[in-house]
Amino acid sequence: MENIEKKMREEARRLLEEKRVDVLIGYEAGTLPLTATPCFITAPEEAERLVWNRFCNHNLAKYVHDVISQHRNSQKRVKPEDRKKKVVGVVARGCTTRSIVIHLQERQYGRDEVVIIGVPCTGYADRRKVSQALGGEAVLEGALEGDVIRAVTEGGEKKIAVADVLADNCRTCRFNNPIISDVMAGEAAPPMNPEAEYDEVTAFENLPIEERWAYFVKEMGKCIRCYACRQACPSCYCPVCFVEQSRPAWVGISDDPSDTQVFQIMRLYHMVGRCVDCGSCVSVCPMGVDLRKFLKKLDKDAFELFQNRAGSSLEDLPPLSRHRENDNEDFIYHPEIGGHNT
Amino acid sequence: MEKRLIKKEALAGIAKRIAEDVTVYAPVRVEENVLFKVLEKGEEPLFTYQNSKNAPKNFFFPRSEVMLRYTRTPKGVEFTAEELFARDGVLMGARPCDARSFVLLDMLFDQEKYKDPYYIEKRNRTTVVSLACAKPPYRECFCTSVGGHPVDDKGADVLITDIGDVFLVEFVTPKGEKLLKYFGDQKADAASEEKKAAVAAAAEAALTWKIATHEVKEKLDRNFNSPFWDGIHKKCLACGTCTFLCPTCHCFDISDEMKYDDGRRLRNWDSCMFPLFTKETSGHNPRPTQKERWRQRVMHKFSYYPENFGAIACVGCGRCVQSCPVNIDIRKIVAEAMELA
Ligand code: SF4
Ligand code: SF4
Ligand code: SF4
Ligand code: SF4
Repeated sequence: MENIEKKMREEARRLLEEKRVDVLIGYEAGTLPLTATPCFITAPEEAERLVWNRFCNHNLAKYVHDVISQHRNSQKRVKPEDRKKKVVGVVARGCTTRSIVIHLQERQYGRDEVVIIGVPCTGYADRRKVSQALGGEAVLEGALEGDVIRAVTEGGEKKIAVADVLADNCRTCRFNNPIISDVMAGEAAPPMNPEAEYDEVTAFENLPIEERWAYFVKEMGKCIRCYACRQACPSCYCPVCFVEQSRPAWVGISDDPSDTQVFQIMRLYHMVGRCVDCGSCVSVCPMGVDLRKFLKKLDKDAFELFQNRAGSSLEDLPPLSRHRENDNEDFIYHPEIGGHNT
Repeated sequence: MEKRLIKKEALAGIAKRIAEDVTVYAPVRVEENVLFKVLEKGEEPLFTYQNSKNAPKNFFFPRSEVMLRYTRTPKGVEFTAEELFARDGVLMGARPCDARSFVLLDMLFDQEKYKDPYYIEKRNRTTVVSLACAKPPYRECFCTSVGGHPVDDKGADVLITDIGDVFLVEFVTPKGEKLLKYFGDQKADAASEEKKAAVAAAAEAALTWKIATHEVKEKLDRNFNSPFWDGIHKKCLACGTCTFLCPTCHCFDISDEMKYDDGRRLRNWDSCMFPLFTKETSGHNPRPTQKERWRQRVMHKFSYYPENFGAIACVGCGRCVQSCPVNIDIRKIVAEAMELA
């Protein structure tokens, strides 16, 4: 990991020195122990701030989209011949590049507007699992020593193997190496455990419908509608989210449980074929809502019905962005014939 | 002031006994979070917690609150005022920072010029029993930097302090004294007060982050247009996590909801972090980007509130520091603002 970090800094510095990017988005150490946080650098010497470690949890593609779309909007008032292109550099692992693939497929920006420093990924630590492993005690000091997290709490020093606190999405990740990149900061990482990808969903599918519904109601009951999940998601980039539209108001904004459920169901369905299982929405949620269970279900459906894995290749368009004569449609409910999956 | 001593294990039982008579709001473990909620029958309150995820402001200023209802009839629209929802209640186990947040909220909702009946009614009918931080629970705590203290009775009607082997219970206000009957009859002696003073001094010394935050106002006011504001917001996701968990944030938005002929006017929490914040009907927004919104968040807490009410609108609970998904640390922002010219 130290080598990847070193290489990543070198590449970042070079991109900035050669002015191939206007801004570079990566991670730096956070102000709290055992954290890393997104950062934006524009000067070559700032490359030393960049870190790559097991606490880099955010999908930075979200910022790539934000920066480019804000820039494009600001250029609208400039005469066409004077318009400038802004090129964004980004440190990206597998899931981040998948999100960039989705952005490219959905024509959010051009391939020439983003320069990707690809990093091989072996998974990030889930901060909730770290906290649980420490019995909820506050971390006074912490450090990463290879694949072991050393944390000092009131109760003394504890060592936690990263493997024991990996985020759920990382455990079964199928694309931990970048799908596309311009430079690579290291050799490809060994595969994770994609065979187990849908185990949890399958177990959930096998529960009686009442139990599934009860679980959905319970999880969404925790939601405080802070929208951190939506804000963190690279695929949630609508300029005005349906939640915020008022004519018509699709969904109420109060704490009525059914409004919260509607918000969640609609967001989930907007993710069909567009969720890369980066885990960002899950990791940012302050209330610990299990969003992944439902996202994974939709992902499984998209794969089984349309053989698509979101963002896994530039050529393979997402099911909702393409038309095929022979598309599977037997899940569509027909009043006389009925429908599959009902 | 009446003072009692109780066994530490007795507190949960006392909370449950009070809950037989009035509504009790207490910290309860709900899956991975400790949350303040209405204590239901058979539920165990938790008094060994660090601090709750959500701030208890919710009980006075709910996330959603109906203000009035109306019905469309052939004769026109009929309005009905919402009955002020309030019941006598006891908020048990609020940390001193959270208790102090009520003093700050009172300045706004219960001021000379404007009186907010919804807030005031609930506030008046609730007794606050606070649990001092004999040991500051988090490294992110910074109450002393913003005018608070880990063993502080501001905003509390009753203050409970862990003085080693027992809890010292102080009945700070007449409202608090009404709860005397639940706390037994072992009067506190002078020794227990000495112990409390020692606990308070140790707790204060244990806080690691200290800064003269009241001096920052002047700097902020001078630097409204400084490039300082260009850097802070960049990684901000514009979610509502910080403001929704904050005990002192109090912006709200009023909206109407209609179902067929019945409507209700609701007041919901708003957040300066949301892109829709202060967006006007015309489409114009005086705070068009996250930069202006973040400046508003800092200015509101550290300049405007001190100007309007003479107090910083932050109690140093550290919730936003801990829960911001991208680690935007308000302490760091204030510290950096102090370095401005
Ligand atoms: S829905 Fe969640 S897991 Fe899926 S892409 Fe968005 S942030 Fe990532
Ligand atoms: S981040 Fe969590 S609490 Fe916030 S809106 Fe999303 S699910 Fe709800
Ligand atoms: S601003 Fe942050 S530290 Fe201050 S009271 Fe609000 S949540 Fe607590
Ligand atoms: S919690 Fe963090 S990311 Fe979310 S709005 Fe607040 S500062 Fe921004």
